[in-house]
Amino acid sequence: MNSNGAILRIRNLSKTYMQGKIPVHALNDVSFDVHKGEFLSIVGVSGSGKSTLLSLIGLLDKPTTGSVFIDGEEVTKFKEREAPKIRREKIGFVFQHFNLIPTLTAFENVDIAMRFARVPKSKRKDRAVELLTRMGLADRMKHKPSELSGGEQQRVSIARALANHPAIILADEPTGEVDTKTREVIVNLLRELSEKGQTILVVTHDVAVAQKTDRIITMLDGKIESDVKVTGKVKLKRAG
Amino acid sequence: MFDISVRNIINRKLRTGLTVFGIGLGIFAVIVMGGMSEHFNLTFERSMSLTADKIRVLPEGGIFGITLDESKVKNVKRVPGVQDAFGILQVPLDPDKIMFFGGNVVLGIEPGKQKSAMEDTKLTQGRFLVPGDGYRVVLGSNIARQFKLNVGDELQVRSKRVFRTSSITHVRNFTVVGILEYTGTFFDNSAQVPLDRAQDFYDRGNEVSFILAVPEPGVDAENLARRIELSVGRVTTFSPAELRQQIEQSLIIFSMITLSAAALAAIIGSLSVMNTMLMSVSERTKEFGLMKAMGAETKDILFMTMSEAALMGLLGGIFGITTGWVFVYFLNGYLAEQGTVLFDITPRLVVISMTFAVVLGVLSGTYPAYRASQKSPMEALRYE
Repeated sequence: MNSNGAILRIRNLSKTYMQGKIPVHALNDVSFDVHKGEFLSIVGVSGSGKSTLLSLIGLLDKPTTGSVFIDGEEVTKFKEREAPKIRREKIGFVFQHFNLIPTLTAFENVDIAMRFARVPKSKRKDRAVELLTRMGLADRMKHKPSELSGGEQQRVSIARALANHPAIILADEPTGEVDTKTREVIVNLLRELSEKGQTILVVTHDVAVAQKTDRIITMLDGKIESDVKVTGKVKLKRAG
Repeated sequence: MFDISVRNIINRKLRTGLTVFGIGLGIFAVIVMGGMSEHFNLTFERSMSLTADKIRVLPEGGIFGITLDESKVKNVKRVPGVQDAFGILQVPLDPDKIMFFGGNVVLGIEPGKQKSAMEDTKLTQGRFLVPGDGYRVVLGSNIARQFKLNVGDELQVRSKRVFRTSSITHVRNFTVVGILEYTGTFFDNSAQVPLDRAQDFYDRGNEVSFILAVPEPGVDAENLARRIELSVGRVTTFSPAELRQQIEQSLIIFSMITLSAAALAAIIGSLSVMNTMLMSVSERTKEFGLMKAMGAETKDILFMTMSEAALMGLLGGIFGITTGWVFVYFLNGYLAEQGTVLFDITPRLVVISMTFAVVLGVLSGTYPAYRASQKSPMEALRYE
């Protein structure tokens, strides 16, 4: 970890896409730090650059300029073929549409993430059972995604994200597909994980979700508009 | 990771079934056509091993069908280095049938020379021809089975003499005195009668179709064959090596034709694997993107997709080989009753077919697997 305690450091991150011959600046010179165990939300209207930021941190895309440091290592300087290793060791993803593999059971969906990390079978089993039990899904392990509710699927997805002990969890609209009651369950679960030391970045439109996090970064036109610590109720602009 | 490939195949039963059926049909063709080719190869090998030590002496030009005068046998015998020589008259058993795929033949042979002509071939019933035998016949195993004949039964043989405006068919019963064991050679489809009776019955005077010359021990067959040609005159000889070369060339062409047709069928079958895999990859674009986001390496995705294709090839191979074997088993049973066998499924053929099926599966899965492995996780996750 870096000397200032930041598990994630973003420095002058920019991303420019070409739309035909016209350059589109999706992200423009963004810099911030995230500390271990921090529960941070990134909010903003559609096109503000929050999803681009998440994909650059998750090494799903390459920045035009700037750097991302995870656990003190500059991950943006690694080559394309090294990206899978960093993804499985440092990052856990939680998606809006859960993105579970439909042909695998809940247990296998958690297990497969560890397979890619070449974790031995016996350790995988223990870890998957432990995580699913922690998510309250001990009796749903053998069920396929189609047999699980939205909330249950998202909890499987969180268990999968945690499987390889990542430095950060990147959650893209994790409550976008669930009802209000389930949203509470998911947010409380993420909160609980962060209190136990897990660093979590959530991209959300949902004000109620953002207000449950420790810190809210608001994006606008590819730049950070505001970066505030949540102490009580924070008044947010309605995200688009 | 292999269990996930198995799961993917099982979860798409209808599609997998149709693909396996497609490749299975191709392998079925490989087994049936290959079985035919193997049968001819084996028959040739066994026939060669039975007659490997003898030099064939044919009329000049080496054409079967044109005959030699029996007096040439004496000339051949006189050549130094020849231990023994005897003529054989070969005529189709059914004069109205064109000889095809080694149909049944009557072999006119000097009594007492049978053992020499067929090495150590044994009898399952009766005895060999002996000097003084008249209209007697020793049957090959296929003919005996086809006509359901045993020692003591009569074989009706027809000969047809064609004149300018008419033809006369003679019919004669030959008494079965012996039945040969199965040899897997053309002798199985032969009815062996005394040479003089064959010459009379077919009105061939003193003609023979070819002469077999047995070299003395230690004599070089190639050399002797040349000397026979020079000494006897107006004959063409084939040493065992030359004969092998000639027949092998014909068999290679035959094998190429049959196996190319079969391979074509199998390749068409493999296109169904490629089609299935391309559809499957396209359907699972998001899944592959997700796997990459989870840290899957390109080789993981390649392995998963290609093992699915290989597995479908393997299942197609098993299906094709099993159905091909059943088909050949029943067809051989039917053909055996007609006096011939056309297919031999050898372990070599099974291994080749299975390897071919798996290799085709893997090859046809390579491009879809490459496409799957190249999916950007970002684009794949956005894909709906």
